[in-house]
Order: sequence, then structure tokens, then C-alpha cells
Amino acid sequence: MKQPIVHIQNLNLQYQQKLVLRDLSWNMLSGENWLLSGKSGSGKTSLAKAIAGLLAVEGVVKINFNSASNLPAQVLFVESWYQFKNIEGVANFYYQQRYTSLQANETVTVFTDLTDCGKKHNLNIADVDSLLDALSFSGLKNTQLIALSSGEHKKLQLVKALWLKPQLLILDNPYTGLDSKSRANLNTLLNQVSENGVQLILIANIDELPICINRFATLNNGKISTSNTPHSVSFSKENSKKQIPDFLSQSPVYSSYIIAKLENVTISYGEKQVLKTINWEVKAGEKWLLQGPNGSGKSTLLSLLNGDHPQSYANTLYLFGNKRGSGESIWDIKQHIGLISPEFHWYFDASSTVWESIASGFYDTVGLFQTLPYLKSNKVDELIAYFGFTEEKDTLLNTLPLGKQRLVLLARTIIKNPKLLILDEPCQGLDEEQTADFNQFIDELCSNGMTLIYVGHFESALPKCLEKKMVLENGEVKENSEIKSKNLNLKESINHFELST
Amino acid sequence: MANYFNTLPLREKLNQLGVCEFMDITEFTDGVSALKGKKMVIVGCGAQGLNQGLNLRDSGLDVSYALRKEAIEGKRDSWKNATENNFKVGTYEELIPTADVVINLTPDKQHTAVVTAIMPLMKDGATLSYSHGFNIVEEGMQIRKDLTVIMVAPKCPGSEVRAEYVRGFGVPTLIAVHPENDPQGKGLVQAKAYAVGTGGHKAGVLLSSFVAEVKSDLMGEQTILCGLLQTGSILSFDKMVEKGIDASYASKLVQYGVEVTTEALKQGGITAMMDRLSNPAKIKAFEISEELKNIMRPLFQKHQDDIMSGEFSRIMMEDWANGDKNLLAWRAETGETAFEKTPAGDIKINEQEYFDHYTLMVAFIRAGVELAFETMVQAGIKPESAYYESLHETPLIANTIARKKLFEMNRVISDTAEYGCYLFDQACKPLLADFMKKVDTDLVGKNFNEGKDGAVDNRTLIHVNKVIRTHQVEQVGTVLRKAMTAMKSIKTV
Repeated sequence: MKQPIVHIQNLNLQYQQKLVLRDLSWNMLSGENWLLSGKSGSGKTSLAKAIAGLLAVEGVVKINFNSASNLPAQVLFVESWYQFKNIEGVANFYYQQRYTSLQANETVTVFTDLTDCGKKHNLNIADVDSLLDALSFSGLKNTQLIALSSGEHKKLQLVKALWLKPQLLILDNPYTGLDSKSRANLNTLLNQVSENGVQLILIANIDELPICINRFATLNNGKISTSNTPHSVSFSKENSKKQIPDFLSQSPVYSSYIIAKLENVTISYGEKQVLKTINWEVKAGEKWLLQGPNGSGKSTLLSLLNGDHPQSYANTLYLFGNKRGSGESIWDIKQHIGLISPEFHWYFDASSTVWESIASGFYDTVGLFQTLPYLKSNKVDELIAYFGFTEEKDTLLNTLPLGKQRLVLLARTIIKNPKLLILDEPCQGLDEEQTADFNQFIDELCSNGMTLIYVGHFESALPKCLEKKMVLENGEVKENSEIKSKNLNLKESINHFELST
Repeated sequence: MANYFNTLPLREKLNQLGVCEFMDITEFTDGVSALKGKKMVIVGCGAQGLNQGLNLRDSGLDVSYALRKEAIEGKRDSWKNATENNFKVGTYEELIPTADVVINLTPDKQHTAVVTAIMPLMKDGATLSYSHGFNIVEEGMQIRKDLTVIMVAPKCPGSEVRAEYVRGFGVPTLIAVHPENDPQGKGLVQAKAYAVGTGGHKAGVLLSSFVAEVKSDLMGEQTILCGLLQTGSILSFDKMVEKGIDASYASKLVQYGVEVTTEALKQGGITAMMDRLSNPAKIKAFEISEELKNIMRPLFQKHQDDIMSGEFSRIMMEDWANGDKNLLAWRAETGETAFEKTPAGDIKINEQEYFDHYTLMVAFIRAGVELAFETMVQAGIKPESAYYESLHETPLIANTIARKKLFEMNRVISDTAEYGCYLFDQACKPLLADFMKKVDTDLVGKNFNEGKDGAVDNRTLIHVNKVIRTHQVEQVGTVLRKAMTAMKSIKTV
């Protein structure tokens, strides 16, 4: 009998003094493609890293490559986190800077990045084009890395992995940030590489899997359970009905009925138009869903509202009743807004503690630069208790699992009970239970009259309170409509959107 | 034009050299109000010009750019930078006459030409701002008496000025008012508001003078910052190759070593950098840095003397007039050194290994920082100024070496710094020839601790620690660093 490609025996793994995996044994046989699921923090990523040889472990982890295969004898682990540096090798810039137009390139272009990757692994550059096409990425070849959206970055990672075709490919949350069409295309590509002999381990929590997945594993309490059919991860549902902190139930006091008003807003870089004559009005207390395929201009639109885009000054745009560029500072705008986005998370200075990260939300700064007055400091403690971070409050943010980091930043976003809450794919990296809890929390929070703009690709995971919808495509408004009677119609209209993209 | 400093009586020389006050955050409670509604016109749109302009506009101020006609017609990069970020752009003739504040952010070398062109266009009683005082102090540029002349100098590259602002912080900034040009007494208020507009007040503002800024800036950049880092890097690389260490390893160690070791410097001064070494290595680094200080002291003093007398700027300006003949030749030479030509190997070097295998550089840095600081203070420059121009900037320059070695460092720094750097390097290498003969791979290339049991004499260690910790640069640094602890560390390893 052929040796298993992955053989694990009595694997023990510690993460910060906590035993994450205990005496775990598991084999992956030839022809198998696995789905690995489990709650956030159950050790999925750690196990994947152990298999890829990126973590020191106790126990046996043996990889047996197929010497008869013409695919590279390699394990490739595609992290759910990407890291890129600017052209000079430093990473010290912040997400806002991606909107600045600068002649001297700060980061390399997609094409250069791909060429370097091809050289490093001896790949044929001609093979990459079909992959770029399949993920509708071809138009971005000359784009600088810093200008890519989070979904586009994810696609670039996937293109490289599928191009390399290693014998064992491990993908950690590959669907994060991808629109529905790209998710379907990715599945087709995964089926193809699997036919070519690539074996897959997929870490994901979704239903739409590629058909090549034929084995299923769940991590729970450091142990692995396996089966031939998908089983839904049963979460121990502790009654999470907690009282929302008092200070968050206070209604915002609006000074203007119109929160944001955009009149024929157009944003372009050189020849490329990113937003084209956008008209949009957001009134106080409204709950908006903002959708559109990757690269359709969603983040750029939101950056205008948050005071982050330099081209705001040449457009007609009103925020909280004031015309943009009439002498206000960006900090005057930001004080009304709580924002989270994947980009924000990527560029967040994760070298501060959980407590400091949340507290910095009072000042809209990345990192805490001042001492908090007593009342504010109490609010931080209260919110930390509500989210269940009390034990980790002095832990450095970057040592927590990604899902937890995201929750901490969500707490940061709402700490000042903002008038306008902008949640751009807030649940990326959260497991199903965390997502459901979070969206329920948003529903509760927004019932105080807060204005909400929510971006989400996963139709099954949206808050119920959403009542209006804006859809962008290629930088233009494709749809601006009411989401009528909640739930049922919401689903329908979303299905309609799915079909039409 | 005569060197301004040399026209002053000694009393006034000392007076202006001695301006230095670390400003409390409460001095900035008026925010940007002194500049609110005023027309601010920036001349030049390179890295400093663009990024300062973005910050000022995001602070609610009215910013536009005046560029030369050729730059606008030729749609040069400066024009693109400004227009694509939706700034109003115009020629000098169009914009300067409307300006309440003209901010000159062109390269030093162009200052005389630029200021000569814009001065007649400026409206009565307007303000002219510099970010470096060379033109006023060394070239002796005379500014119309109705104009206010200020300086606002963020002590970081332009991209950092922007990055720290958008995250809600700032970079340390030096401000000054030219005593010959403050007819309405509004200079300081405006300089403070400007520093708020760029975010500098959050990271610490030092009130200085044009004279103190120039004399300390020149000294820092040509000795410790660029000169010594260049000399130390080349000598270290050559020594390793001579002793048979793999050249690609040596190249990597030298290229990234200064950045890693000076990151500790940035966080906690010489003390923190030295504390990263084992006890025996620390004592050794202390001993050789004392020796280095003795060898190099006369050279540091010569540089300071030439800067004070104006001799340095005189010979440099001769070279400017000569089409940069020397500068270009020396730049080419730097591009040809073995270190520059050997690519860094694809080898993983751990953070601690940079300290353990590169004790020599730690010694170089301690010697250079302390010498530059001491020499400046002896020449009448205040310790706070001397700190900014020596210890504070060392990690920033080290970062440029990590990017693309010395050629890159020299490309990024000002022409003035580059010229001084080569002068220093040429004089320093022969001075260190005998010293380098004694250096072996335990100090550079291999782990100093290898084969040693780590034992040290208590009293020696106590003495060494005391000397390091009680140096004035450490005492001043502790206070100043407190104001900027929030600055993000530069990570490359």
C-alpha cells in the first residue's frame, strides 16, 4: 500500500502555554482532499502550519511525497493573512496611504510580483494568464500591490498557489473577501488542480465547497474527528444573551439629518476611473447594505465617508451636514465614525495590547498615545468584559488568533458609540458562531438609532436590521433599493444579485 | 551673499546657537487656528512637499502648490503628485502673490534660485517657511524685511511624516523663527500651528534657531549619521572577507546589522543597545569604543570647526559651482565598493545574531553617537539639539542602508549630507587602519560568545554600565524619548 502523504502521530502542540493539540493522530491518503473545520481558536491554523513544517511540534509529522509525480514535491501553506512590504522593504505605512497618488512607486506591481514568483519556482509565465482570467484579475497586472483591495490580494495569493501546483496545497480560509462569482470560479480551479494530482487541505467554514473535497475533519478540544460526509460543526451554545453595556444603548444625537451626501462623485487614478458619478444619500439612522464584486469600488466609496481619500477635496460631498473641504480636519470627521475593514486590520499596529487597541478607538488612532480618563477607561473595561476578553486584556494583539484579533478591533470600532458605523466585511475570519453572535449584537446595538453601512459577501451572514441596499459594479451604482420586508425578501433580492453578477 | 553666522558678533553667535527648548504639549492647545483660512502655498512637490501638504490639508488648512512653468508644462512628477491628489497647482506668478504663507520645500541647492524668484512676488507681510536653514545661515540669503521667516523641520523622511499622521500620531519636529525676519512677532505662533497641522506636536516639538539647526544638522549628518555608518560598514565587510567569512553572509550582516542594532538605540538609547550584548561582549564593545573615540576625536572636532567657521559650506558650494564634480566622482566610487557589489545572501539571520556577530558595529555606533554629541555640546549647541542630530536620526539613516546599502543612503540624504559624508569617510579610513589590523572575526562575522564561559568581573561590569548610563546623551534622551515612545518601530527582520 502507498504511504499516506501526511502521517501524523501523537502530535502535541502548545500555543502560549496552552495545549492546542493533544496526542493527535491523522493520516491523509493519496487521492484524498480534506476539509478541516472547527471553532475559532480550535487549532486549525496551527495544525496546518505543523503539516507545512512552519511550527516546531512534539510528535511525528511526516510528509511522503510521490516521487512518480511531476508536480513539485512541496507543501504550500497559503495563509489567511498576507504580508507585503513596500518596494524598499519596510512595512511602515497605513491603509489610508493606498488612496494617495504618488509617482514614485511605493510597492511593486502585480506583474513584477508574479514574475519574481515565477523565477523563484521556475514556473512558466505563460501559464499564469489563464489563472488571472479565471479569477477576473487580468486587468490588474500593472496595479501596485498597495492599491489592491483585500479580495484582490486574496486572489493574488491563490493565483500563485494554483500556478505552483505543489503536491500538497493547504489553504487557510481561501474564500475570505471573495465575491460569490470568484468563489465559484475558485472551486472550479481547485477541482482542476486536484485532477492534476494536487492534494488539498481546505480550512473553511462554508457550505459551497469544491466537489473534489471527499474527506471531512473537525477539530475540537485538541482532538480530530473525521468522516466521509460533511457534518455541521455543532457548537456548544452557551446562552450568550448578555446585557449590552449601558453606554452603548444611548441614542446618538445627530446635528444633521443627512449623514452623507455624494453628488456625482468621481475618483480616478490617471486614466483609470474607480468611481463614476456616484450619487448617494445616507440619512440618520438608516441601515445600509453595500455590495458589489471585488474591485467594484466599495472600499474607495467608504474611504470618502471616513475622510481618508485625498480626492474628496475635488468632489461634492457632504458629511454630517458639512461640505467636505470647508476647513474641517479629518479628525473632526472620524470622531463621528466607527470603521472596520480588512485593510484596516492589515495595517493596524498589532504591537499594542488588547486593552490599548480598544481604547485607541476613542481617539481614532492606530495605537494608544494618551492616558484615558476614568470614565472612558471604565467603558473599555465594560466592553472587554462583554466580549469576554478580560483574561487577555494585557495580551499583545498580534499574539491572538486572527478571529479574536478581529473581534478586538470590532470592539474598538464601537467603543465610542459612534453616530455612523461602517462595517466592511467585519466577520472575516470569524467562525459561524462568532459571526451569528456578532450580527445579532449589531442588530441590538443599532436599535439605538445608530446609522449603519455594512459590507458583506456572504449572504447567509448578515444582520437583520439592514433596510436599504446599494450595489456597485465597475465603479457605478448598479442598484439603489429598499430591502422590503426583512429576512425573506432580503434573501430573494440577494439571490437576484447573485444571479446577475 | 555673506555667511550669516560669520557676520554675527560672538555674543549673538552664542545666543543663537543656544536656542533650544523642548515644548510642552500645552503650548499647542490653539491647534491650527493661527493658519486657519490662510492661503498656504507649497513650492515643490517631492516627498516632503506632497506629504506635508496632504497632512496640512487633512488638518483643515488651505494648501496649493506653486511649481515652475517647465514642471507644469512638462507634466513632471511633481505636477502629477499635486494634481492627482486634487491640489490646486499654478506657476509662481499665479499663486505666490495670493499666499499668506509660502512653504519652500525644494532641495537645498535650489534655495537661492527659488527664493530669489519668489521673493518679489510675495505679498507684503507674508510668511516664508523653510524646512532647513542652510540658505539663510550659510549662504546668507537676505529676505525682505516685511516678510516673516520661519522654519518647520519634521525630523523624518516624507513618507514617515504621512504614515505617522494618518495613524493619528506625528514625527518629532524642530521649529524656529529667524530673528532678522519677525516684523510682526507672529512667527512662533504660525510655526506652532504648522507643526500641529503636520501632526508633529504629538511627537514632540523642539524650539530651535536657524543657526542651531544648521550647525548641528551638518555636524550630525556628516559624522555619525552618514560618514561613520559608511566607514564602519565598508571596513567591517572588508575585514570579514579578508578573514574568510562567506561574502554573501557578510553583505547581509552589514546591510541589515546597523538597522537591527540601532532599533534598540531608538527604543532605549546607547544603554539598550549595549544591553543587548552578553556581559563579556558588552565590556569588549565598551573598551574598543573608548579606543575608537580617542582615535576619531580630532576628526570629529575638525568637522565641527569647519562647520562653525563656514569652511565646509564654502568648499561644498565651490563644488556646486563646479557642476558637482567631486560629489559625482565620490558617489560613483561608493557604488563600486565590494560591499556594494556583493548581494546579501538569502540567509536567515536572527535578530540576536546581528548583535552577537556584529559587536564591532555596536562599538562604532556608541563611539560615533557619543563623540558627535560631545563635540556639538562643546561647540555651544544645546544637548537636546545635539541629541536629535545624533542619536535620534541614526536609526532612520540605518534604515536607508538596509533598503539598498550605501549608494541608496547617499541618494536619499541631502546633497549636503552626502558631500560631508564622503569627506569624513575619506579621512576616517586611514585613521582607523592600525585599529582595524587588530580586529578579528570574534568582533565581526562570528559569535563573540563562542567558546567563552560568559564570566566577567563584577566591578568592571558595574563601572562599564555606569559610564554608559550616566552619559549626558542618555540623560537627555530619556526625557525626549518619552514624548515619542509611540513611534512605530521599523521592522525588517
